[in-house]
Amino acid sequence: MAVTIEKTFRVGEPADKVWAILSDPKKVALCVPGAQITEQVDDKTYKGAIKVKVGPSVTDFKGEVQVVRLDEHAHEIEILGKGQDVRGKGSASMKMTGKLRNVDGGTEVVSTSELNVVGILAQMGARVITEVSNIMFEQFVNNFKKQLQSPEEMNAEAAKPISGVGLAFSALKASFSRHDDKSDSSAESDSGKK
Amino acid sequence: MAAEKTSPGLVEVEKTSPEVSGMGHRMKRKEDSRFLQGRGNYVDDVNLPHMVYGQMVRSPYAHARIKSINTEAAKKLPGVLAIITGEDLAKANLAWMPTLFFDKQMVLATGKVLFQAQEVAFVVAEDRYIAADAAELVEVEYEELPVLVDPYKATDPASPILREDREEKSNHIFHWEVGDKAATDKAFADAAVKSKVHAISQRCHPAPLETCGCVADYNKATERFTIYLTSQAPHAHRTLFALVAGLPEQNIRVVSPDIGGGFGNKVPIYPGYVCAVVASLTLGVPVKWIETRSENLQSTGFARDYHMTAELAADKDGKIKAMRVKTLADHGAFNAAAQPTKFPAGLFSVCTGSYDYPAAFCEVDGVYTNKAPGGIAYRCSFRITEAAYLIERAVDVLALDLKMDPAELRRKNFIQPEKFPYATPLGWTYDSGNYEGALNKALEMVGYKELRKEQEEKRKKGELMGIGISSFTEAVGAGPAHAFDIAGIKMFDSAEIRIHPTGKAICRMGTKSQGQGHETTYAQIVAQELGIPAKDVIIEEGDTDTAPYGLGTYASRSTPTSGAATAMAARKIRDKARKIAAFLLEASEEDLIWEPGKFSVKGAPGKAKTIQEIAFAAYTNIPPGLEAGLEAINYYDPPNLTFPFGTYISVVDIDKGTGEVKVRKFVAVDDCGNVINPMIVEGQIHGGLTEGLAIAFMQEIGYDENGNVSGGTFMDYLVPTAVETPHWDTGLTCTPSPHHPFGAKGVGESPNVGSPAAFVNSVVDALSHLGVKHIDMPITPWKVWNILKDKGLTG
Repeated sequence: MAVTIEKTFRVGEPADKVWAILSDPKKVALCVPGAQITEQVDDKTYKGAIKVKVGPSVTDFKGEVQVVRLDEHAHEIEILGKGQDVRGKGSASMKMTGKLRNVDGGTEVVSTSELNVVGILAQMGARVITEVSNIMFEQFVNNFKKQLQSPEEMNAEAAKPISGVGLAFSALKASFSRHDDKSDSSAESDSGKK
Repeated sequence: MAAEKTSPGLVEVEKTSPEVSGMGHRMKRKEDSRFLQGRGNYVDDVNLPHMVYGQMVRSPYAHARIKSINTEAAKKLPGVLAIITGEDLAKANLAWMPTLFFDKQMVLATGKVLFQAQEVAFVVAEDRYIAADAAELVEVEYEELPVLVDPYKATDPASPILREDREEKSNHIFHWEVGDKAATDKAFADAAVKSKVHAISQRCHPAPLETCGCVADYNKATERFTIYLTSQAPHAHRTLFALVAGLPEQNIRVVSPDIGGGFGNKVPIYPGYVCAVVASLTLGVPVKWIETRSENLQSTGFARDYHMTAELAADKDGKIKAMRVKTLADHGAFNAAAQPTKFPAGLFSVCTGSYDYPAAFCEVDGVYTNKAPGGIAYRCSFRITEAAYLIERAVDVLALDLKMDPAELRRKNFIQPEKFPYATPLGWTYDSGNYEGALNKALEMVGYKELRKEQEEKRKKGELMGIGISSFTEAVGAGPAHAFDIAGIKMFDSAEIRIHPTGKAICRMGTKSQGQGHETTYAQIVAQELGIPAKDVIIEEGDTDTAPYGLGTYASRSTPTSGAATAMAARKIRDKARKIAAFLLEASEEDLIWEPGKFSVKGAPGKAKTIQEIAFAAYTNIPPGLEAGLEAINYYDPPNLTFPFGTYISVVDIDKGTGEVKVRKFVAVDDCGNVINPMIVEGQIHGGLTEGLAIAFMQEIGYDENGNVSGGTFMDYLVPTAVETPHWDTGLTCTPSPHHPFGAKGVGESPNVGSPAAFVNSVVDALSHLGVKHIDMPITPWKVWNILKDKGLTG
């Protein structure tokens, strides 16, 4: 099942400072809830893991992250991630592009993720996957901002899997209320397309 | 609803008193008091001492090689008793099992998996929770393989070959054709008008309220196996267990307790049953396995998935000359079509419908894809719904091409009543019919002329309203033994009647109710034939130790086969009762007159013996030379199928803003011959129409490009509730079957067979003036809204 998720958010820091984090997969991984970089294979390739619990289903993806394109000048990065659940419950791959743009009083981060999910998670359908991504993204943005402001604190925090029951419940709630509940952040826009 | 006799003189049924409640009485269902009080006894209600629980580990991938299965972590969980894998089964030669249609399927996967949710390992534990937790801990390493989802790509050289076990390295299963190709092609070459429609009967699922499951109980001391099973065909399953597992048949007892809906879904044997049997045999304790809803939707027998093209050739006045059909059948990973005909496409060749024309040619190709196996007959006889949908859609498209009224076009082409028995160009012999009678009644009930006038006015105002007709013919009651069998077992069915000394009775049948009301209708047949009040007759089915051998309930076959057997057995009992009555009344048998419930002496009406008195004498005052007791058994092999028919009319309004289709009115006129219980017939029609509505507007087991199931839960696979379901107006005409002992035909499936075309025809009719000729099911608001958007009508 393929889902394309486009996200935009703004931070107060200048683009160079933001780029320093966005261009380093190890730092980005710290912001992704439940994710970990376990090994650096070469300068472009990393091994990692991410644990996602949706309702009764815990998926423990292990795989590789590869930086396909890194454009220092334009502040653009393209990352390819691929992983399989360790107990054989499915697989996922993602192509993520991130782009920075200078705006008044800071930087705008634009990301597009093409997510392809196979297995139990996929059966839950685009509505759940999109909402789970929304929640994960929200946590990502918070972590990203924290990373910009106090990186020491972030680095000290061990990566934890995102909360199970809470995530399923918020995803469900969000999928029922997404049409009228757009008040969470005026600076963020999202669109999930199947 | 009172039936109008449209063909008098075929098989007349005399109505008994309400006290007796024979045929034609609206007797309340005897089984309902138990169901309504929650006192039913379903497989999951069976709890035995020392019982343990099984849980399936399933594949997340549609196509992948299994590199390893690690059960160590799962085995360490306290309470886990056993974990069975495909490799374990292979040692006992049980990794594969035969399907019901000349193929085999994996019980537990070995080598590779071929569809998402395929069975990979079976965990047995002390309770359900431990079993479920342990299943989570089984680690399976897969290597993903390219996935084949689109049946049209099955024979592409670029597509992966799915079945490595087959000698033939191809995804093509069969090519089947029937009819006169040359005559059909000639009729098309000569025809003034040619009409064509491509229609998909989408993959859907019966989704019975109760999912599948079993309790397998092997007793080491007696070496007997009792299997409580959600089975529509307990005897056939017993024999298949004996043949496949090599168990002695006398040691197998299959019990189908109350069944919460089957609709064809409970005809096949599923891997979970086999695993529970193996586990019980290994552990020596009863093993229960019950599917979850998602397991049921994702892995058990789906229905349809026929991709069909129909062409009709006609003259310019609308007289049909020939039909040509080309169909691609998606069978999923294994050809597990649960059907007992000799034809790979079942009874699909009744697709010539209710119409009289000399030439037809039909071809079907079956292919494998990475989807769940099945192809069961969901509330129909083996591809009849697909066939009825196709011809009724094709006739409407022809009416559009000819700019003719669809009712008139049908009337012009109907097989006329005097032409029965009618031989169709594709080889079937319809027993009886009066198609125009049903059409006329339906048109009158719905107020057709007024509706067409209203539609014309609404169109001027830009409002969307449509009327859809379906004049279907069904073929049910499999079947004549020469044409139908399951693994060689001929498709007769049976009834055994025992009259107790006090004149009450117990009857056992080879069929198995899943909610059809057998406990009432069979009792009414006995009441009709013997005059014993229906309330005094107990019906028992589903226990292979006690019931006579039979092939089970599906294909609307219970009334045509076991119903007939009941009448025939009752008539044997009546013959013996006549002998006893003659002895008691000291009269000759020829001088006795039968009326329901008693024999009296000709010319001396006061001199009579009731059936109850005769029954008592059968045990207490036995005539010399006669055996004691009053019982009989009959195995009935019908000489032909029966062919119920009807006309359904759907009236819809479409909301231009949302694309929502509202069924404003629906008229269903059925003709199932003589009726046993009009209320049960109405109930069957209501249920079948509701399922038809769901198929037409809501349901699809879809797959994405990776083979992920997109209709695997009730969040995506929608079941209609009272909110979505319109009011159903029902009516009957009565054209008895000339070859059935009491002229009945079977009705349970007609509404599901006939209604999808009526619904779709009504939506297409609402949009036909915009150039719309066909819309594939399910017709969701999203689909309609997009059509309206294309036409610039959404505003």
